[in-house]
Amino acid sequence: MTSLLELEHVTKRFGRVVIAEDLSFAVGAGDVVGIVGPNGAGKTSLFGLISGDLAPDAGQVRFAGRNVTRLDPADRCRLGVGRTYQVPRPFADMTVFENLLVAAQQGAGLRRRASYAAAVAALERTGMSSQGNVPAERLGLLQRKRLELARALATQPTLLLLDEVAGGLTDPEVAQLVEIVRGVNADGIAVIWIEHVVRALTAVVSRLICLAGGTFVGDGEPTAVLAEPAVREVFLGTDVTAALAGGTLETTSAADAEREPS
Amino acid sequence: MSLATDTSVPISADFHVTRSRQNVAWTGLGALVVVVVLALFPYIVYSGTTAILVQAFIVLTLASMWNLMAGYAGLVSVGQQGFVGLGAYFVLILALHGLSPFAALPVAAIGCGVVALPLWWLVSRLRSGYFAIATWVLAAAIMLFIERFQSLGGGTGLPLPGFTGMNPTLITAYTYWVGLAVTAAAMLAVYVLLRGRLGLVLTAVRDDEVAARSSGARVGLARLIVFVVAGIGCAAAGGVLAISQLQVQPTAVFSVQWTAEMAFATIIGGLGTIEGPIIGTAVYMVLQQTLASYNAWYLIILGLVAIVVALFARRGLWGLVDERLHLRLFPVGYWLRTGAGNGRPRSLRN
Repeated sequence: MTSLLELEHVTKRFGRVVIAEDLSFAVGAGDVVGIVGPNGAGKTSLFGLISGDLAPDAGQVRFAGRNVTRLDPADRCRLGVGRTYQVPRPFADMTVFENLLVAAQQGAGLRRRASYAAAVAALERTGMSSQGNVPAERLGLLQRKRLELARALATQPTLLLLDEVAGGLTDPEVAQLVEIVRGVNADGIAVIWIEHVVRALTAVVSRLICLAGGTFVGDGEPTAVLAEPAVREVFLGTDVTAALAGGTLETTSAADAEREPS
Repeated sequence: MSLATDTSVPISADFHVTRSRQNVAWTGLGALVVVVVLALFPYIVYSGTTAILVQAFIVLTLASMWNLMAGYAGLVSVGQQGFVGLGAYFVLILALHGLSPFAALPVAAIGCGVVALPLWWLVSRLRSGYFAIATWVLAAAIMLFIERFQSLGGGTGLPLPGFTGMNPTLITAYTYWVGLAVTAAAMLAVYVLLRGRLGLVLTAVRDDEVAARSSGARVGLARLIVFVVAGIGCAAAGGVLAISQLQVQPTAVFSVQWTAEMAFATIIGGLGTIEGPIIGTAVYMVLQQTLASYNAWYLIILGLVAIVVALFARRGLWGLVDERLHLRLFPVGYWLRTGAGNGRPRSLRN
């Protein structure tokens, strides 16, 4: 089976800052892949390279059998790449429902009735049904993150890119989110999920990638990757390796540092 | 108006989507009444008043077009006077070939829409300040190009032919009606554009261009359409200008003052709203009429008003109205109704 998404020797630098150094990896249709890494590792930039917000200096991005390296974000979205932004970017002066309509009409290419139904479906799936007519600017941070997810879903993607949608959520909310992602994946949508809240990732993903300094330092089965010394070193710092000996993933300091006050 | 209906599209048993929270029929009816009353003005007011209103029509048309560009598509043009001038000259050229200036106006406007296509190709890659300067340069280049033609009066221009034998009162009335028609058409075009599929894209681009792109919106195409529509609108206003002044003079029709006026009216009224340019034009015309005799003071007060509005009413005067009354004269949004009970939580919408 051919891969849904393929990155081949993708390199991106901003001056001396290396964002991606000769990255190659493939994601199959229906896969769920988690990405972890310290701040500044190039995680969000990797999403930019996949979604088209960033153009690589070298290498190729292939999606659904097509070379999409030169396609802009709108065209990649229409092919099936849906993404969320770590810092939510709602259409502030539009209602939640209108936000989703943009995605359903433009990203999924749906007309009137069908676009309304797709927007309503995205509202229901993300538990935002009661907020359809709320102007996006009135939403709190957590609701904005939820809107990001709903809008990406409304584009009816085959690949969903989630950028830290669990940060700041309580445990029951994380569980709820995990259920949403499971449901999305059950529909055959591939998911790549960047997250500091590792317990959310390990609940869903079958594969974990650790990114640091624009290169992969680990890739494989989640518990195995998190146990690798190289991963522990970049992700947690050398001194906490001993603290992690028990293997509890909850102790990741990065996860706590990321939690926003709510 | 066929648009003035509150169409309801059922999704399932539980969902209905209406095009507005308010009843759009009242908007259509109100707009129709205003246009009809304005159309009767030549019979009931002095020609001095209609002349001022023709000026207001020109400013309102220009402001609506500039609002579409700067307020929605993120295109801050300082060169719209290029289209004002082109529109005026196209009317002049057609009139010199024997066409009535009134009949020439729509042809000239469409012609300028065609000219807008290659001009867009020249400036489409530029953004923000670079786009502004490039459009200004283009407008200046178009003026210099047209001044090369001695048959069009070179640097001094020509009187507009085609009015010989017409009753002056009739000319005044026709000019007024043409101005009113152009403005009504421009406002209707903006409303239809923003209410449609493209309107949703433009509103999204206004709020967040990056997110709009990654939601599948083809921003470049939306911008091209806006640029062409604004070109047509500004050219039509230029045609009205030529007819109302009975002459075409290059430095007057290509004056950057036109862009200053449209930007002023839009910004003090409220950028990115359909209502803003209307309020802004009203304020601008009142200031102009009451202060015109004070020369320099007029400009100083105009500048002060712009500064005060920019500082204390960031969303323009219409923004102040909207915040307090939650009012939309031209509703373009979508309203989701769920089940039977969930009606209209008024407080939630802006």
